[in-house]
Amino acid sequence: MSHTASIQAKARELLETGAVACVIGYEIGPRGRARPVFVESPEGASRLVWNQACTHNLAAYLPARLRPGKKGEPARPVGVVVKACDSRAINVLLAENQFAREQVHVIGVVCPGVLEGAGQRSIPDEASPGEGPLQARCLRCAERTPVVSDTLIGEPFAAPPATLEEDPLDRLSGLGAEERLAYWLEQFDRCLRCYACRQACPMCNCPTCLFERDDSTWLGMGIGLSEKRAFHLGRAYHLAGRCVGCNECERACPMNIPISHLNRMLAREIETAFGYRAGLAPVPGPLVTVLDRGEGRP
Amino acid sequence: MAEQASSNPMLPFLGRLVEVRDLAAEIKLFGVEMQNGGSEAFAGHRPGQFAFVSVFGKGEAPFGIASIPGRPSPGQEGGRVLEFAVNRLGSVTTGLHELGAGDYVGVRGPMGNSFPMQDFVGKNLIVLGGGIGGAPLRPVIHSVLDRRADYGHFSILWAARHPSLLVFTDEYDDWRSAPDTDLHLTVDEPDATWDHNIGLITNLLARVAPSPENAVTITCGPPIMIYFVEKMLAEMGFAPEQCYVTLEARMHCGIGKCGRCNLGGKLVCVDGPVFTMAEVGALLESYL
Amino acid sequence: MKVLTPSALHAWLNALARDRLLIAPKEEAGVLLYRRVGNADEIAFTGKDPQRPVTPIKQAFFPPTERLLLIERLPADEPGGSRRIRLSESLPEGEQILFGVRPCDARGVRVLDAAFLEKEPADPYYQRRRQGSTLIGLACPEMGPTCFCKSVGGGPDDASDVDLMLFETENGFAVQPVTEKGRALLDGAELTETEGEPPRSALTDPIPVPDRLAWPPHFQDSFWEQMAERCLSCRLCAYICPTCRCFDVRDEALPAEDGRELYERIRCWDSCAGEPYRRIAGGHNPRAGKGQRLRNRFFCKFHYFPEQYGHQACTGCGRCIDLCPVNIDITEVLSHLVVG
Repeated sequence: MSHTASIQAKARELLETGAVACVIGYEIGPRGRARPVFVESPEGASRLVWNQACTHNLAAYLPARLRPGKKGEPARPVGVVVKACDSRAINVLLAENQFAREQVHVIGVVCPGVLEGAGQRSIPDEASPGEGPLQARCLRCAERTPVVSDTLIGEPFAAPPATLEEDPLDRLSGLGAEERLAYWLEQFDRCLRCYACRQACPMCNCPTCLFERDDSTWLGMGIGLSEKRAFHLGRAYHLAGRCVGCNECERACPMNIPISHLNRMLAREIETAFGYRAGLAPVPGPLVTVLDRGEGRP
Repeated sequence: MAEQASSNPMLPFLGRLVEVRDLAAEIKLFGVEMQNGGSEAFAGHRPGQFAFVSVFGKGEAPFGIASIPGRPSPGQEGGRVLEFAVNRLGSVTTGLHELGAGDYVGVRGPMGNSFPMQDFVGKNLIVLGGGIGGAPLRPVIHSVLDRRADYGHFSILWAARHPSLLVFTDEYDDWRSAPDTDLHLTVDEPDATWDHNIGLITNLLARVAPSPENAVTITCGPPIMIYFVEKMLAEMGFAPEQCYVTLEARMHCGIGKCGRCNLGGKLVCVDGPVFTMAEVGALLESYL
Repeated sequence: MKVLTPSALHAWLNALARDRLLIAPKEEAGVLLYRRVGNADEIAFTGKDPQRPVTPIKQAFFPPTERLLLIERLPADEPGGSRRIRLSESLPEGEQILFGVRPCDARGVRVLDAAFLEKEPADPYYQRRRQGSTLIGLACPEMGPTCFCKSVGGGPDDASDVDLMLFETENGFAVQPVTEKGRALLDGAELTETEGEPPRSALTDPIPVPDRLAWPPHFQDSFWEQMAERCLSCRLCAYICPTCRCFDVRDEALPAEDGRELYERIRCWDSCAGEPYRRIAGGHNPRAGKGQRLRNRFFCKFHYFPEQYGHQACTGCGRCIDLCPVNIDITEVLSHLVVG
């Protein structure tokens, strides 16, 4: 059975039994592009697909979807299709009490990696995955199997991460502080402050963002370089120990700002200092809230 | 704003606060004496119009003008003072509440359309105000009382969540004592001394039961109140053309450019803020 | 037809850039953007796919952030007295030449003109920039995969909204002046008279676009909520749209000395897709739902704006289709309205 058929069968079952109110998965939208879909009836399950264009991190929809109602009534459980990277986001969200474990039925898919340009190009079906290279983050990926799932689709396989010829992080680390700042200011200059990066991010779920221009008393409203710099650097710090590297922020950016370099740099620092990688295992709380005497691993 | 056509509509007139007094809990009345060109621009403003008030350094926000030209406020001569009733809610209104007499503010306007008082001549009028929504209705009340003989029976239905939130309490005796005029007060949550009606304004409306015959209603209040009042008026037989509302919406320019205040294809700032239900009845649900 | 050979074109643009502000498509970090250029070598003359820059030309008239006023609070004349206020307008000045404007973007300027200038009072900031601008259009030889300009009244070689139009030909760019302003710009350009007419662009099949009156019956459709479920409520689609023009105004502090306080009143782009767009002080939000917000976006373009100004506020540039992170596709919305 294809992954698509397995996902559809599971979703149909979950919706028929009423175990979940909705399954968040992928469908083929107009122009043959994969996109998120919210299936609320067993008949709708036939819309669900799986292919190597399923790049969106659907865990980003969970916190809002699972928030208690106006009168405090708990939200009904939701099924969600995740790749390995997305599943790490679920672990982080659970650690941050965004919802309860029993509120999600995780449909994990063993992932061969997502293609470059996914979401923006036509890759209509699973059988003909299309041509082209995998996204760089997928080439580097060491975990192909979701770390948390209730239903696992696909056979786990070991795929050692590829060693990429050149890692931009090394090049950036090699620059002097002034050169590096100049590099980043040039990148941030293109930013429109459209917040696509923040909105696509599963970890950016603060009810009121510190950098929201409408509400912030910390940051100006202007779409100027100083505000953009504060936003991007501030956001990167707020993701330290939380970013799972799904790279949705960078993919959503219309201006090719290499946001992932910031996030990966911080992730690298944290792994070196604490031996910790966000979301790899269920943890009692976010890294930055764990204050053990030796500052060791949480 | 024809008076200003050649100049920058985003540039406020300067105004000086000549009066700041408590009107209700967290609601203050600000009297603004316009400086230089401002007094001419505002000389002929009409009931229902609004203006943007700037608290310099905080920003500006739109407020219904709570006074009419030519009616001197108590203690003010000449009637050249614009009054605004302001509820402390966001950063601009908080900034305004921190100002006192003598401080400068900016004022842009007058903006928007107005109540067609001429069309109301000879008609019975029913005014329904909820909370701070009473502020833009005060010019209607003053206009009617100043030319009392021009209009038919006058009913004022005045509501607030709590007695401490009722606005213009010091004027109620004047309103009541005008000929052929009645004032009905109601609050949702009475206190120990409250001896008027209790409940929502719709309950009061049902009790007063005004006749649609030769009548016009004028309503302002929170969106949810407007929605239910209008629904009830329709059930009572008022035609949409007889029901006037004045609406508020988030806006940033007041001149039809910033796009914020649309209600369907209408812009509250230039097509309103005064509408009949014939114009906005179908859109009211999206206003909630 | 008159043609600018590649070398004549370069010489002409270099001369223009010498004494005026020249804005043209330029590639930066793999992104095509309208940027100030110092000479013709910096210009990306033929965008590949897509041919249009990522952000529209609207920023030349309606910048992402602009100062409206400068506000000074001066120290009080006497102790305990009121602080005086000094206000000054910050109206833009100067001329700019916008080169390489694609017809969809130029048509967007028509929409902005209507919104900012048509009804009294005109927006003086937009007006100044607009009056100081000359638009040099660049026809698209063919329509891109997400383009539908032809279906919303425009076209890849439509010259109606520019001062001067250029068409790619085998031996340079054919030139077609449209306005006096455009003709005047050609003074000193070395034009070669060549046989034939400027080439017409290749068209793709039109898509069905519902009439303005077809929209109201669909206001309550469940379609909006369903479509918007995937919406991220970011502001991307509005910021890259040639016709979206909503803004927000606020005062912000600037450094000041001598007991003065200095503020600027700025306006910034905003988007009706963002959650706080209609939220009022006190927290009430009449458009708290994503479906309500997206519905407004599309009603604005195809129903509200036409109702007010007589033409659609969409130029079919296809940017929102290309760039939406979750593939909300405006042509899918249009076909919902047509098919039901």
